[in-house]
Amino acid sequence: MFQASGEGGLGTVSVFTSTDGGHTPEQVADMALNRIMQINETAPPVIRDQAIAHKNRLREILIYYMNSMAKSERTTIWALMKKQGHDDIAEIIRRL
Amino acid sequence: MAINQAMCGSYKKEITAGIHFWLTHSRTGSGSIAADTFKIAMFTSSRTDANEDLTGYTATNEVSGTAYVAGGDALASVTLGLSDNSSSVPTAFLDFTDTTWSTSTISGARCAVIYNSTLSTAGTGGTVGHAANPSVCVLDFGGDKSSSAGDFTIQYPANDANNAIIRIA
Repeated sequence: MFQASGEGGLGTVSVFTSTDGGHTPEQVADMALNRIMQINETAPPVIRDQAIAHKNRLREILIYYMNSMAKSERTTIWALMKKQGHDDIAEIIRRL
Repeated sequence: MAINQAMCGSYKKEITAGIHFWLTHSRTGSGSIAADTFKIAMFTSSRTDANEDLTGYTATNEVSGTAYVAGGDALASVTLGLSDNSSSVPTAFLDFTDTTWSTSTISGARCAVIYNSTLSTAGTGGTVGHAANPSVCVLDFGGDKSSSAGDFTIQYPANDANNAIIRIA
């Protein structure tokens, strides 16, 4: 308690980890959603259900565009490798 | 005691004594004081004193691995906000950018400690003493977390009066 009516609080962190690669589009989408919207569990059920549905729809959209970004980035790296004469590495990247 | 997510008791006293500077500070008639550097370090489940009674960072039971340097990473882009929370109580809240150890191999991270690395030796603010690398809070991951040739990210919650990582209401 900092004052008679005050208090200190801590938020909850989320930990995302990966193995043999970076975060997946789904993980990155979840990270973005965590920052975009929070749904209070004590909200009226009708409002809460609408918010959850909206969040799920947003998640689908974010995952789609995260995947598009990943593909686009691979194309950029593929082109760079080709231009530098690393055709074998370019092919590996193209097949990802 | 066991690992427990909490704001450290010593931090509550130290901020009241004006020991920590999250942001650059200036006062009439005196020069500007640079912001302190705050870091986040991770520990294994063996670090059982990681709770509200912790007073400062030490390397005991700190995780190790590829891309992780002892002492942890500095918190970046510190912002301080003020608005009413859902109970209409004016609340000050802090936020940072997420912390990521890229291309890392880190095993068994169970909790993290945020601490002031600028105050690397014990000192005093007025009559209030502080430990070396005084701790701010302990964050409990709820289980062991690991990365293997991948990314390890700690994401801080939404930056608002109800959810932000550090709040004073």
